[in-house]
Amino acid sequence: MADITHIQKNMSSTLTPAGYYQRWRLIKDTLARHTVVVGGLGIIGAIVLIFFYLLYAVFPLFLPAHSETVASYSVPEKSLGKTLLLAEEEQNEVGVRFTDQGKAVFFAVKTGKTLLNESIALPENTQVTSFAQGDFANGIVVYGLSDGRAVVVSHQYTLSYPNNVRVITPSIDYPLGKEPLLIDNKGKALEKIAFKKGDDVSTFVAKTADQRMILTSFEKKSAMFGEEPTLERIDAELKTPAKDVAYILINKDHNNLYLASSTGLLSYFDIGDKAAPVLKQQINVLEAGSKITSMDFLNGDLSVLVGDSHGVISQWSMIRDAKNQSAMQKLRFFKASENPIIAINPEARRKGFIAVDSTGEVGIYYTTSERELIKESVANAAPVALALSPRANSFLLEGANNQIHVWQVENEHPEISIKSLWQKVWYESHSEPEYIWQSSSASNDFEPKMSLTPLVFGTLKAAFYAMLIATPLALMGAIYTAYFMAPAMRLYVKPGIELMGALPTVILGFLAGLWLAPMVELNLAALFSLLMFLPLSVMLFAYCWQRFLPKDYKEKVPEGWDAAILVPVLLLGAWLSVQLSIPLENLFFNGNMRSWFSHELGIGYDQRNALIVGLAMGFAVIPTIFSIAEDAIFSVPKHLTIGSLALGATPWQTMVRVVLLTASPGIFSAIMIGLGRAIGETMIVLMATGNTPVMDLSVFQGMRTLSANIGVEMPESEVDSTHYRVLFLAALVLFMFTFVFNTLAEVIRQRLRQKYSSL
Amino acid sequence: MTTEQTRTHAINMSSLGRDEQKNTSEKEETCIEVKDLNLFYSNKQALYGVNMKMPKKKVTAYIGPSGCGKSTLLRCINRMNDLVDNVRIDGQILLDGENIYAKSVNVADLRRRVGMVFQKPNPFPKSIYENVAYGLRIQGINDRAILDEVVEKSLRGAALWDEMKDRLQDNALGMSGGQQQRLVIARAIAIEPEVILLDEPASALDPISTLKIEELINELKETYTIVIVTHNMQQAARVSDYTAFMYMGELIEFGSTNELFTNPTKKQTEDYITGRYG
Repeated sequence: MADITHIQKNMSSTLTPAGYYQRWRLIKDTLARHTVVVGGLGIIGAIVLIFFYLLYAVFPLFLPAHSETVASYSVPEKSLGKTLLLAEEEQNEVGVRFTDQGKAVFFAVKTGKTLLNESIALPENTQVTSFAQGDFANGIVVYGLSDGRAVVVSHQYTLSYPNNVRVITPSIDYPLGKEPLLIDNKGKALEKIAFKKGDDVSTFVAKTADQRMILTSFEKKSAMFGEEPTLERIDAELKTPAKDVAYILINKDHNNLYLASSTGLLSYFDIGDKAAPVLKQQINVLEAGSKITSMDFLNGDLSVLVGDSHGVISQWSMIRDAKNQSAMQKLRFFKASENPIIAINPEARRKGFIAVDSTGEVGIYYTTSERELIKESVANAAPVALALSPRANSFLLEGANNQIHVWQVENEHPEISIKSLWQKVWYESHSEPEYIWQSSSASNDFEPKMSLTPLVFGTLKAAFYAMLIATPLALMGAIYTAYFMAPAMRLYVKPGIELMGALPTVILGFLAGLWLAPMVELNLAALFSLLMFLPLSVMLFAYCWQRFLPKDYKEKVPEGWDAAILVPVLLLGAWLSVQLSIPLENLFFNGNMRSWFSHELGIGYDQRNALIVGLAMGFAVIPTIFSIAEDAIFSVPKHLTIGSLALGATPWQTMVRVVLLTASPGIFSAIMIGLGRAIGETMIVLMATGNTPVMDLSVFQGMRTLSANIGVEMPESEVDSTHYRVLFLAALVLFMFTFVFNTLAEVIRQRLRQKYSSL
Repeated sequence: MTTEQTRTHAINMSSLGRDEQKNTSEKEETCIEVKDLNLFYSNKQALYGVNMKMPKKKVTAYIGPSGCGKSTLLRCINRMNDLVDNVRIDGQILLDGENIYAKSVNVADLRRRVGMVFQKPNPFPKSIYENVAYGLRIQGINDRAILDEVVEKSLRGAALWDEMKDRLQDNALGMSGGQQQRLVIARAIAIEPEVILLDEPASALDPISTLKIEELINELKETYTIVIVTHNMQQAARVSDYTAFMYMGELIEFGSTNELFTNPTKKQTEDYITGRYG
């Protein structure tokens, strides 16, 4: 550096034309050096930015849930009775408590100030003997009365915007009429009650004071000719000892009924036919020594959550076994506390729930991800009632000390855990734990299932089949072109193959999906026959050429042009193979290879499958591998080849032992770059795989890759939703994949180069 | 110049060769005989009617200015010119009386018998051991005991054993240029050829390495017939028994080294060795 400044000083003093030139040269050199540095740093910076952006979008998935206390106040209108149910409306502004005196007290959630006091129309001379929540989403509750009748009430909220301010007006309503409905024909008090209201059917199940379990349903029969619809009533009695029944649950489809005794005996009834309920199964859901202390459905009513006296919450669901028999099975359990679980409240839209134990400790859990999201000691007293708001972002807890505690919850992505992303998850109504990607469902009753495993599997499968086709073809082609082919022919062949890479992949995918896939399906036998007879025909031709052709003719073919004579041979061979496939198919495969596969071997065939992807993506990857490998082989120094030949090695020995060895770093990176391309490729797999996220190694089955998945689902995913973030996670996984692959490839390549480079 | 003229040269030479030379060449067994060799690159002729007899277990040096065809002639002896496109060769080269350009000759076998060392050392990117064993391995010899023995013998033969015996598994590319060149010679003698062709073997080396190579050549001629192309006349004078002077694709003069350097029969030869052109 000192020298340069010295020279510069010298030059500025003289400033001859040569001096100017020297100076200009230095400036140019410095400029070029800095431009290169800036460019290189820019690229690294861009990649790091992409990485951090992906991380930024993914990060909230793994943030822990958070909760904090908002307010706590004494129970409003305490004189109006003991709380049977607490609830919040959608906006977490208005709460309600239903009391055992038949009152509905609406209050402001933030302050506990009473907004409205409603008395439920209970007939005179009756007492409330039982109470149940009918339907969480529609705010329906039911009071069972001492005379065998029941009143169904709903709490409702209307929104209005006077002066652009949101005002929520609470009210109560009687969806089945203000007049109490007679449930027990014998008029006995209803000790326990359960109720579900559907569009046409309403079902009550109750335990009477004289220890009967009765089922009463009302079905709305819409009459013809516009007459008033009539209610048809069906009564039935469940043949089961009613004495122990402590919990009753009816599912929202009105066909399953679950009764549980506090000792842990769970009975499952099929009540599809309301007149004849059938006991399907009885099972003990507890370990010895525990008692059921709370029970509720998980959202969707497909599984039952059982909380016991030892603080364990277990999830039970109907599982169909291999013989298509349904039975209750325990999917998983949470050890929530050491104390009895007093109440369980499911989330309204997800598969999570909130539970509280006898000491007032509240926990929020998520079933499929098996996460404990929040654990807070909320009240220092035994809980009386627990309410989770419809959006699951707030909850109320009333303690025995007559305090209502209001908490706010931030719990955006409870369904994601390492386990739910990468391991088998036992979803409700699936017969076993599985890897499933099914990001959207028809209704809130089913959760999105987001396992990345099938996508990673699909990515690797597609890349594997593509590489299986591309690697041998491209490498053999590269070896021949670089080492044996006449230079004049190479001049056409190399750019020709490289031109293949210029084809837009969307065209390849389009052709693969719409032309190749149906054609292969129709001519499966021809494809296999090509695979078998084409190499055979080349061998046969080569043998005949060497053995039978007079030497004079042989010598007419200039060295290195042998491949050109193979072109007509290949065409003829291909034509013959296709022709041959028809009788072969008739002979061995009953005339249709595809149906033979499915009938004889039980191998299913998807039209868009790994074979098609292998062919199409193989086609796309060949130019990449070919070009790099060819360059590597071609640039093996001539003095090495000549050295080997001079030792009496044949050209083939020279190629295998010296050329390939020396070119190995280049060949290796060619394969790795090809693999990177196959993993990241989107359009071909998007159009030619069928996008079924199944995990099946079969070459005749489709798959869904990470990249195609992002391509398909990103446009329809809600920004910042769990789905959106998981798609970003998929992108991050893909990024890491290629990053790790490339880094590994580079490390190995450098090692090879150190070992085998020769110059 | 035509073939006929060249022939005249040869006749002249033998007639002028005097008794001593005649005696020596008759006394000694001929190993390689070049007969009327013409070589064409495309349409350009590069060798004109070369005739010469190279005796067994002697060192023959080819000297001459750049582009005179001495390397081309050397490469004809193990048919390395076959690797060049559009080469046409007329005439014969007899190795132990057998024409190596006959159709029945297997080129790989020929090259096994006529080893070659190039101007630039060209070890394979393998271990020292594997470099030396290469010639045997391509012949299907993989017996460890045989290979060990041959590797040691060849490295000793190339005066490398003592330096390299503890580094046999090291990559050959880590050696110095002179060591590499000796390794390449060891590689060539591992397959026990009859003839070793050296194409300016020391031109890329420093003086000390050059000296070592020259000493090696002196030892090797006990066992092998050696043909060496060199730019360096002192080297030719030092290492060779016979010298051929070539100019413009023709063999001008061929005789014992002493004779040629002290008493050349041709003006051109004299001009060249006295440094008037080159």
